Amino acid sequence: MADEKAGFGQRSQVGGLKGKMNDNKVVEIKNLVKSYGAKNFQTTVLKGIDLTIYKNDFIAIMGPSGSGKTTLLNILSTIDKPTQGMVTLDGHDVTHISNKELAKLRKDKIGFVFQDYNLLDTMTLQDNIALPLALDGVPAKRILEKTKELAAAFGLEAQLRQYPYQLSGGQKQRGAVCRALITEPEIIFADEPTGALDSKAGKDLLHCLRRVNESGQASILMVTHDPHCASYAKDVYLLSDGVMKCRISRGNDRKEFYSRIIDLQTSIGGDFA
Amino acid sequence: MRMFRLAFINFRNSFRSYLSLVFSLAFTILVLFNFQNIIYSESFAVLGEHNKEYIDMLVQTVTVVLCCFMFFFLWYATNVFLTRRKREIGIYIFMGMSNRRIGSLYVIEISFVGITALVTGVGFGALLGGLFQMIMGAVSDIAVDVRFGVSWEAGKVTGVLFLAMYLFFALKGYWNITHSSVLGMISAARQNEYVRMPKTVLCAKAVLGVAVLSSGYYLANVGGMLNMMKNLLEAVVLVIIGVYLLFGGLIPLAFQTVAANKQFLYSRQRCLWVNQMIFRMRKNYRTYAMVCIVGICSITALATGFAMKERYHNLINFDNQYTFQLLTNQSGLGEKAAALISGAGDIACQTSLEALSVDDVHLVLKCSEVKRVAQERGAKSDLPEPADGETFYLSHQVLMTSIFNEKPVPVTIGGKEYLETQTIRDPYIGYMQREMGCFYVVSDSAYERLKGQGTTLYIHNYKLADDNDFAAARTALDVLISNTEENFTARVAIDPFDNDLDWGKMLHALCICMFMVFVVASGCIMFMKLYNDSYEEKERYLVLRKLGFSPGVLSASIARELLSAYMLPFVVMAVSAYFSVLALGRLMRTSLLSIYVVSTSVVLVVFVFCYILSVAVYRRNVC
Repeated sequence: MADEKAGFGQRSQVGGLKGKMNDNKVVEIKNLVKSYGAKNFQTTVLKGIDLTIYKNDFIAIMGPSGSGKTTLLNILSTIDKPTQGMVTLDGHDVTHISNKELAKLRKDKIGFVFQDYNLLDTMTLQDNIALPLALDGVPAKRILEKTKELAAAFGLEAQLRQYPYQLSGGQKQRGAVCRALITEPEIIFADEPTGALDSKAGKDLLHCLRRVNESGQASILMVTHDPHCASYAKDVYLLSDGVMKCRISRGNDRKEFYSRIIDLQTSIGGDFA
Repeated sequence: MRMFRLAFINFRNSFRSYLSLVFSLAFTILVLFNFQNIIYSESFAVLGEHNKEYIDMLVQTVTVVLCCFMFFFLWYATNVFLTRRKREIGIYIFMGMSNRRIGSLYVIEISFVGITALVTGVGFGALLGGLFQMIMGAVSDIAVDVRFGVSWEAGKVTGVLFLAMYLFFALKGYWNITHSSVLGMISAARQNEYVRMPKTVLCAKAVLGVAVLSSGYYLANVGGMLNMMKNLLEAVVLVIIGVYLLFGGLIPLAFQTVAANKQFLYSRQRCLWVNQMIFRMRKNYRTYAMVCIVGICSITALATGFAMKERYHNLINFDNQYTFQLLTNQSGLGEKAAALISGAGDIACQTSLEALSVDDVHLVLKCSEVKRVAQERGAKSDLPEPADGETFYLSHQVLMTSIFNEKPVPVTIGGKEYLETQTIRDPYIGYMQREMGCFYVVSDSAYERLKGQGTTLYIHNYKLADDNDFAAARTALDVLISNTEENFTARVAIDPFDNDLDWGKMLHALCICMFMVFVVASGCIMFMKLYNDSYEEKERYLVLRKLGFSPGVLSASIARELLSAYMLPFVVMAVSAYFSVLALGRLMRTSLLSIYVVSTSVVLVVFVFCYILSVAVYRRNVC
């Protein structure tokens, strides 16, 4: 399959074509199928997806409404289980491990950024960021150091003592990224991270995410319908009707990459809202 | 009809979430029904009309207390219900329904809850009615004639009382909905956001709370009986206000201070549950305060019950010191009377003493004689000798009194003024002491001085060894009764089988019942509140699960949070109840410390049970 407009068959063979070393794999999906509904009345949302995410990848998954983006993200982030296929996360097959191990894997290896931030409004931003480590039994001194370090990196030092209701959308989302990063995860799953932000706040957040990725802190898999947002990724995969239609890579020019994404969207058609 | 059907579908679909409300209401109705059943059933009629009248009066008093409690409970429960439903019924506005129609829907739906609770409460009340009467009889040591059956009158009164109150609150809800703005109802769902209260306000509330509560404790226990009675109302009001301020100020402040210490906060699951507590405290402090106050009421009710029981036994014991008493101006009649009684049955105890009838209104006793009689009867006497010019009044035991005159009052005996410095309630002369109410103890020297001014009378007391000989002995003594100027002999016979005061036993049982009602009610309120909270917390816990926190960690956090929620009202209640029981003990002249320990332990057991249930339900709802 070529990099662009390739693999329009039932099974996308996007992953594994980069020729990277196997030990750099963070996530690997093979023949992923997800169906909903009772027997004989099933709707197949994902129809045999193959995808490999390597260390330092920054992948955006785009697709029209109903293409299966959120289902894919839920399965990757171990919130949902596949009907068929294999999902390997940091060498562990998540389809065959206990719920306890799954929770541990989710806690240690994955960071989440949601569209609606999902900061807990019962605690300050500092406590929100610190929560994953605090519940993991990390010494308080270490937690405080890490929280301050991340807050400084994301320009949130002055907001640490504030509650979510006192923060702007952009500050909340940067706080959510800090929370996702504090456990030093292998990968961050971001579900429409700029969906609830204005363009300025969205841009700031994307810069932050790119910085995180480029500094080697974590790989990122981002689901978005926004071409501008996707243009910050290194690779964009297009998901349509439950299959990976194609992948395009950024290169050096983000504006040119953005144009290519728009072209791709136009050629695929569908509702990307 | 469509409205009715929609309301019924809503009720049926949400039945599980209404279950705690239905259960709590049904329990209150069950208790009310069973009390009414006592009035309308004939179980206690065996005690005679006099006792039944008193018991009915007591039960009516308890009914008033229960109705007051039910009123506040319904107020609270329907408010919680309305807040929850508001969020859902707000959506109906977008379906084109008017506020009035939504209000009607609410009234119909809440009526289903009320009717279910009423039917359940009365139904179970009728089933358990016999058992309830048996328990009441057993606790109060009254042999009741239990009849299993439903008293329609009791059901009618219970139904009318409950429905009247329930309808009031249903209509209040209707008014609330019809007068709510669309925005108000829609935003009810979003009122889950925490708005931090300024520290200065919390500090002010905390200081005020501690000051008010301490003043309440102080007023309840300061000074003598008269002072305590005077201060009682103020003390109760201060404790109630103080408890509210404590939960609204000091406790949130303490939690916020703890949360500011990150070294402490970032250990175990504290970051989660301490912050949750701070958040919840803002919304729940009134509930915690209410639970605490109901708990104080429960412990005080039980302590009152035991104090009453002790009083009742003292009263019976006071009257039954002797079976027969003679008051005569004839010397040497004691042995004659003893011989007559002995003919009917054995005498267990016999005492005699002299009394001076002065001014025809006072019977003056010699201190050493009074002590001697007590010793002969085998009772311990710590009666001090009155100083010259002083006298002690021999009073009697009472079940309840609001008269506490502690100031020495002057009494003129034989033309000389004596200062009545003590009121003695020990049964030195038994029944005669209570009935005549004119005995004064003076020092031996004062007695000798008064001898010339009064007539010497003789008091002879006899206690039968076997109560069954009473009737025969009384008949035998009748020959001695005389009322002439030369020969005055009065006989007092105290029937050991008399049950005139049996209604007093019921006080104890009623207080225990009130204790149980209040304890279960406080547990129910806490459970209901946390049950509702769990629904509000669902989304938050979903996020936490998405973030990868294991069910074990979340469960531990829930357990700690709920433990604090139950522990805080319990601790404040235990401390407050200690002072309340202490004050009650002083008022009743008895030590109620052991009752305090027992009742607090029972409350603890109920709270632990409710806590375990709450944790299980909370986990099921959010994890």
